[in-house]
Amino acid sequence: MISENKSTTLWQVTHGQRLRYGGAIVAMACLGLFLFGAPLIGKFAIDVVADSNLAAGMPWLAEFFLAESSAEGAPAGDPDIAGYLWASAALTLLVTAIAGGFLYLRGRWAAVASEAITQALRGELYRRLHQVQAKFYDTSDTGDLVQRCSSDVETIRVFLAVHVVEIGRAVVLLITVLPFLFWMDQRLAWLSIVIMPILAVGAYVFFDRVKALFEDADVAEGRLTATLQENLTGIRVVRAFARQEFETQKFAERNAEFRDRSQRLMVLQSYYWGVTDFFAMGQLGLVLLVGATFMMQGTLTVGALFAFMTYVGMVIWPIRHLGRVLADTGKAVIALGRVNHILSEPAEAPGEIPSSGRATGVLSLKGLNFSYAKHTPVLSDLNLEIAAGETLAVVGPPGCGKTSLIRVLLRLYDYQSGSVTLDGHELRNLDRHWLRAQVGVVFQDPFLYSRTVGSNVSLGRPDAPLEDVYQACRDAAIHESILGFPNGYDQKVGERGVTLSGGQRQRLALARTLLKNPPILVLDDSLSAVDTGTEQLILKAMLERKGKQTTLIIAHRLSSVRHADRIAVLDGGKLVQLGSHNELAEQPGLYQRLCDIQNKLDDTISTDLEASR
Amino acid sequence: MENWDDENFDDGFDDDQLAKRVDVGLWQKLFAYARRYPRELFWLGVCAFVTACAEVAYPLLTRGVVDEVALKGQDASLLYWGLAYLGVTAAIAIAITGFVQIAGKIKTHVSHDIRAAGFDNLQRLSFSYYDHRPVGWLMARMTSDCERLSNILAWGFLDLIWGSTMMLGIALAMLWMNPKLALVVLGVIPLLAWVSAKFQRRILASARVVRATNSRITGSYNEAIMGVLTSKAFVREDSNQEDFGDLTGRMYGASVLNLTQAAIYLPLVITLASLVMGLTLAIGGFDVMNGLVTAGTLVAFMAYARHFFEPVEQLGAWFAEMQMAQASAERILSLIEATPEILDSDAVRSAIAIQSEAGGTTNRSKIAVDGGDQQIQTIELKGLGFAYDPAKPVLNNINLKVTRGETIAIVGPTGGGKSTLVNLICRFYEPTSGQVLINDVDYRNRGLDWLQSNLGMVLQNAHVFSGTIMENIRYGKLSATDNEVIDAAKLAGAHDFVTATELGYKTQTGEGGGALSAGQKQLVSFARAILSDPQILIMDEATSSVDTETEQRIQNGLGNVLDGRIAFVIAHRLSTIRNADRILVIADGEIQQSGTHAELMAHAGRYRELYRAQSLQETTADFLSSPLPKPG
Repeated sequence: MISENKSTTLWQVTHGQRLRYGGAIVAMACLGLFLFGAPLIGKFAIDVVADSNLAAGMPWLAEFFLAESSAEGAPAGDPDIAGYLWASAALTLLVTAIAGGFLYLRGRWAAVASEAITQALRGELYRRLHQVQAKFYDTSDTGDLVQRCSSDVETIRVFLAVHVVEIGRAVVLLITVLPFLFWMDQRLAWLSIVIMPILAVGAYVFFDRVKALFEDADVAEGRLTATLQENLTGIRVVRAFARQEFETQKFAERNAEFRDRSQRLMVLQSYYWGVTDFFAMGQLGLVLLVGATFMMQGTLTVGALFAFMTYVGMVIWPIRHLGRVLADTGKAVIALGRVNHILSEPAEAPGEIPSSGRATGVLSLKGLNFSYAKHTPVLSDLNLEIAAGETLAVVGPPGCGKTSLIRVLLRLYDYQSGSVTLDGHELRNLDRHWLRAQVGVVFQDPFLYSRTVGSNVSLGRPDAPLEDVYQACRDAAIHESILGFPNGYDQKVGERGVTLSGGQRQRLALARTLLKNPPILVLDDSLSAVDTGTEQLILKAMLERKGKQTTLIIAHRLSSVRHADRIAVLDGGKLVQLGSHNELAEQPGLYQRLCDIQNKLDDTISTDLEASR
Repeated sequence: MENWDDENFDDGFDDDQLAKRVDVGLWQKLFAYARRYPRELFWLGVCAFVTACAEVAYPLLTRGVVDEVALKGQDASLLYWGLAYLGVTAAIAIAITGFVQIAGKIKTHVSHDIRAAGFDNLQRLSFSYYDHRPVGWLMARMTSDCERLSNILAWGFLDLIWGSTMMLGIALAMLWMNPKLALVVLGVIPLLAWVSAKFQRRILASARVVRATNSRITGSYNEAIMGVLTSKAFVREDSNQEDFGDLTGRMYGASVLNLTQAAIYLPLVITLASLVMGLTLAIGGFDVMNGLVTAGTLVAFMAYARHFFEPVEQLGAWFAEMQMAQASAERILSLIEATPEILDSDAVRSAIAIQSEAGGTTNRSKIAVDGGDQQIQTIELKGLGFAYDPAKPVLNNINLKVTRGETIAIVGPTGGGKSTLVNLICRFYEPTSGQVLINDVDYRNRGLDWLQSNLGMVLQNAHVFSGTIMENIRYGKLSATDNEVIDAAKLAGAHDFVTATELGYKTQTGEGGGALSAGQKQLVSFARAILSDPQILIMDEATSSVDTETEQRIQNGLGNVLDGRIAFVIAHRLSTIRNADRILVIADGEIQQSGTHAELMAHAGRYRELYRAQSLQETTADFLSSPLPKPG
């Protein structure tokens, strides 16, 4: 429903539900017509009793009673008027009940329409959050995005549910009541609308101001939420440095900023409300007094004045509430803009899916260049051929581009120049979903869904038989730990479930990826939090799989990388060394230094062990 | 597969318990926050009162004008009525401006104050409080709950005064004008109240489902954003979308039900109101004819019949909202009133007060803010034990004495109690048995803030705030100059990677340090700890994500850093701990071995096994046939 890469307007949002909205507004108009009926009945009834004359009554109703009394041959008297009054009362009730029926229809249709639109909007946002390129998240704040998806959508929903019909109603009321007023008394009718241009100008000015102030308050709220979130997630650091006072100070500033900005919004609204109410009620007073003068001249009946007052009240009511409607419309416009920020973000484009099906896992990098920002190359002129089934280890100091290489491989980010091919297909042209199905990655800081342990593992291959799930967990040395949880594989993880240690999370993520059994397996420093003994167990299991899939291992320890077929040393985004453990151990360079450190340690350990024997 | 029990996941999102009654005591406690603004409350009451009076006055004015004309005809004088009308209109305009402004002020200020009180307490509450409360849960209390309750306190109070004044005023005006007609109108009230009560209850129940589902949707968005890389990597987009579709489908059903109930309720109310109008018209009309009632009175009555139901409905809605928000009120009050399990004793507090009065006259380098020694010479653990659940002790009878300048390494299997021991020393938790002595004084007799401001911590899961790298390191010592920050970064091995980036120390770390790798985060947090110049330094797997060479460099620089401090180092990599003054092997909640490296190596035991496993040559033999050739 939402067009690609274009900003959405409020009008576009209503697409697909416009008919229903139309129905709701028509129902509202019918409701209006019937609601006008009630004062009219009152007008005639009052005129009848004021004059004690049925002739002043409602045309056909009065005629009915008149005809009845003349049939009896007696002059129209009290009993007939009583009959007329009771009939009027019953009619009032009937007319209102019918109006109530329309009111229900309006409510129901508006509810269905607005909720359906909101549902579609929510779904679209969710889809877009998955579709956007990964770089979108580099510059976005989780709390802020969630706020756009929840409270901004809610603002739009309220607008759709309440105000769309309310605006329609105001328009319909104006169109239908005005002819009524002019029909009853032209002089008074002109008086009743004299105020409207003033209100229109006021509303226009107010609308702009309220939008600006609302945006201010919204921004302040976002900042407040972000500060709170940072404090709570980093509470351990806050305590460890005893920075409570500093944090409280920072929070107090944000808290006060939000308070003051929201208050400014309220102050603006208060003036608008006060002023419009003054004019609206003044208008009503004018009608009353001028009407009374006409009554004195005998050119207006009491009943007509009553009806006039009621109608003007009806027209003025939406105008009195115009302030709220406008304020909420302003908010909805801002909210839609914030939602558009997500919806207009370009999605990952689809690509071609090779007919060969499952990839064999041959990777080839030629003159690859990649950077996040323009002037800081992260990977430069990278050339690397990786055979199917080969295990390649990547080492290098922090910030050398190891993780970026993985991101390029998954097409989370697109490379600027050079070429990367998988089985001879250029990555840039490949379908991302297909590509990612070929690559299994264990991230450094793995994310687990707040579901059960079992479903977290099995999402690697949802149709895997139970035995495979267990085997993957055994290979990742997590099976025993899972059985140790109170509910085993049905144990919930996440905020409400068990708190897993860093090592357990890494092992669970590894099991999930092993279960996926992809042609290309990538371990991105994924055993850093696992203790030495367990690491050995996992590496042993990995060795047994060696050769079955192309494997990339990013690691810091010699223990994890030395069994690789080849080792690539990255420094400053460049490939500085490439070769087997034996070859690189002989070449001076970063890898040799790593070996030296480990060898010295080994020597010390042997000496120590010798000494202690 | 997919037969895992995910559906009955208790995610704690069903927060709106529908209260049976309104708990007056609870609301009084909350109202105390509004009472901080007595002047505003007074004027809010006045404005509400004036508004209600003016609204009651309008039909009376109309009646006056109509009767004036009807009685006096051509001689009627409308000037005074006109002036009165103008006066009332001016009054209502001012009163409305006043109440919107004042209610807005009270609302925003009360919300601010509750939030500030909550935040203040959150900064003092012990970690045990956080253990069982997810961040998302706390966030909801501090944001939406605060807004919701302050709304009730400000606007609910306003409507209470306005509504009761209006109801009373209309009732009095009607009784004064014509008791018989008044009773006709008032007679319908019980019926309306009954209908309202019946419906509000149902509307409340469905609104509760809407809210709970809404929280779940928010949770889903949160998970979608946090886990986006994983979802992409596992090509989970479509199945996530499907799950989310179920959720929004449920939301649609619940919301439409809720709104439909409201759509039925409203027509019922206006039909009831028209019943009253009809009765007034019929009965009153007859009286007008008989001269018992003036036409003006009838007109006024018809207006009152229309307006009388507004406050009844409004008050009913607030009452319902209070029932529904009661759970919010309980939760936020429990958050504000929760007493930290760990806090300064009265004696410590008075000592701190005496010290702060003494002010600059005391020598801060010797005497701490709490009057104790500033310099930590020894830390002694005496029969230390800790248990969340008495049946399953985490630590048991730990005895240890550490002096200034010593580095203690702690090794042992996962879950053996290493981190708990460190948390006890930092007084993040307090021992359930035994004591921690600082310079022979139980640390419960020292200032908590004093102890913790002398700590430096580097954790495996290093937390970095959003902001620049410079700001993050400076968090260790807020007054540090740029050069001090850079020196600390050099010692921590962070300087190289920082200067390699385009913006250097001005590089933004992103939300939760997301723009940095795990290793970089560890280095930044290490620099932060060094900068804080702590007397006690804690390193819990501090360099696990750093490459061996960088780690080695940090090790070499560490010697100077550790001088004159007490350090506790938890590590899997034994290279890190070989040089420690003492090594503790902790497993099953007990110190199983303790001594220097040489001492521990002299005995066959856990330590020697752990140590042996570190050697590639030794372990290679276990599962690889060929040993690695040594580099030339």
